Order: sequence, then C-alpha cells, then structure tokens
Amino acid sequence: MAEEKKDLQLQETEKQEVQESGAERTRARPAFIPRSDIYELDNEIVVVADMPGVDADSVEITLERNTLTINGYVKPTELAGYTPAYAEYREGDYQRSFSLSNEIDQSKIEANMKDGVLYLHLPKVGPTTRKIAVKTG
Amino acid sequence: MAITDLIPWNRGKRQIQVQREERDPFLAFQHDLNRLFDDFWGGSWLTPYGASEREWSKFSPQIDVVETDTEVKVQTELPGLEEKDFEVSVSQDTLTIRGEKKQEKEEKGRNYYRAERSYGWFQREISLPRNVDTDQVSAEFSKGVLTISLPKVAAQEDRKKVVVKAK
Repeated sequence: MAEEKKDLQLQETEKQEVQESGAERTRARPAFIPRSDIYELDNEIVVVADMPGVDADSVEITLERNTLTINGYVKPTELAGYTPAYAEYREGDYQRSFSLSNEIDQSKIEANMKDGVLYLHLPKVGPTTRKIAVKTG
Repeated sequence: MAITDLIPWNRGKRQIQVQREERDPFLAFQHDLNRLFDDFWGGSWLTPYGASEREWSKFSPQIDVVETDTEVKVQTELPGLEEKDFEVSVSQDTLTIRGEKKQEKEEKGRNYYRAERSYGWFQREISLPRNVDTDQVSAEFSKGVLTISLPKVAAQEDRKKVVVKAK
C-alpha cells in the first residue's frame, strides 16, 4: 500500500492541521490529520486513527478510484457564554487520505469506531496468480 | 508570591482573548514549559518502584479550559482510552487527570508502516480557582473526549474591607 506522498513531520503532541488537500473545505472549522498507525498483517492492512470526539455516525469513509479518504466530523461543543481560560488544542474535524494499491480488496473494507479511535481493516486480495502456459509453436 | 500564582490560570482571562498556540509562539513556548513541568513532577522516575511499568511516556493529553461565572469546564482528548484507564481527582486547588494509554498487544507479524499514535502513562494537573466547589465535580467521557464540570460557589470575598476611622 502506498502511503501519502507528503512526508509528514508530525509533532509529538500537537494536532497537525490539514494544510493542503485536493479539495477546498466548505466548512469554516479547521481539519486535522488524525494520528494514525498503519500496519500490515498476513491477510490485511490495518489503519488505526485517533479521532477523539468523532462517533461512528459522523465518520465518513469514501473510496474513489484508489484513494481512500477518511473524514471525521466532530459535533461542536456548546460553549456559548463560556470564556476560554486555557487552551491547548482546538476542536476540529479530521481528514486524511491514503492511496491504496491493487492488492486491497476494496469491496471488503471494514471500519469500526471505538472511544474516538477508528479501526480500518483493508483485506488483501487472495492469491490470484495464474500460470499461463506457454505454448511452443 | 505563592507558587500557584505562576500557573497561568489567569492568563488571557476576561478582556484579553486567549491566543491559540499557532498564532503566538511565546504562548506555545509557555505551554511547552508547563507540560515539561507537568511531566517532570508527574514523571515516573520520581517513584523508584513501579518505574519499570510506567514507562517514560510520549502521550500527554491536551487540555482546554473554559469557564462561566458559575462553572469551570475542562476538556481533554483521550482517544482509545476507557473509563477504567484513567482517574480524575480533585483537591482543594488542583484537578489531576492521570492514567495510562495502553498499547495494544503487539502481535507478531505486524509490519508497521507508520506509528504516530503514542502510548504510555500520563498525568496532567490543572490548578483551579479558589471558588470551585470540589464536592460537586462531575465528569463525563464520550467518544474519547473527557469533559469535567466544576461548579463555582458563590464568590466569597477573601478580603474584608476595614473601616478606617478618622480621628
């Protein structure tokens, strides 16, 4: 699986804001790159992304050609009337894209969300090597 | 001056708008320092036993604090944790959130392409204003976000006015 081309220098604790993406965002809120672990097993590739504040209903996973895009929308906290006193992070949505190689069985991608963490299972296509007999003529 | 006065509880309060880190490098630096101190005093190396299980950790949750006249609300992002993985305690003037973000069991045959998520033991301390009612604190954890509500008691005047009689 090819990863993002851009080499992301993620800082240890701060959220990384999406700087440039293919499409302009239509929402006024910032979007962050969810910190993700990606690992490969024998039969699948697993993406684990930290998206605190996102529930299963507000995560959107789209697959267009070979690009898998994760969008997580955070329901804004009602903070009318509150004065910020100390601010370390900003609330915002999450967005990240990955390009998939052909070895992923795109019809069998599974995703589940637990405690603000998205687990994405990308099963590999079973071995489809065919031997082609070469005839001598 | 008490040591607690150094903790930037009052920073940016009232009229002055809170500056977000990316706009103000000095505030970012201040935050880094605060976290450094948090890590230092909450760090595992001070406890001689148990240090081995509490690894030096990279995970340090970020905290937002907002307030009204009647309530202080503390929010922190703890993705991947469950209620049992952390504890919230409150003393007279300090709110402590501590816990451990456990690494999932490392299975053999995992070939990592990217490992950006961090794990480990953490402790954050937030100094509270004096008028918080520490008996009425409530906390809620949902979707990886912890929200702690600390109601304020009616403002008690610490200082009393002394009537000066003229002779």
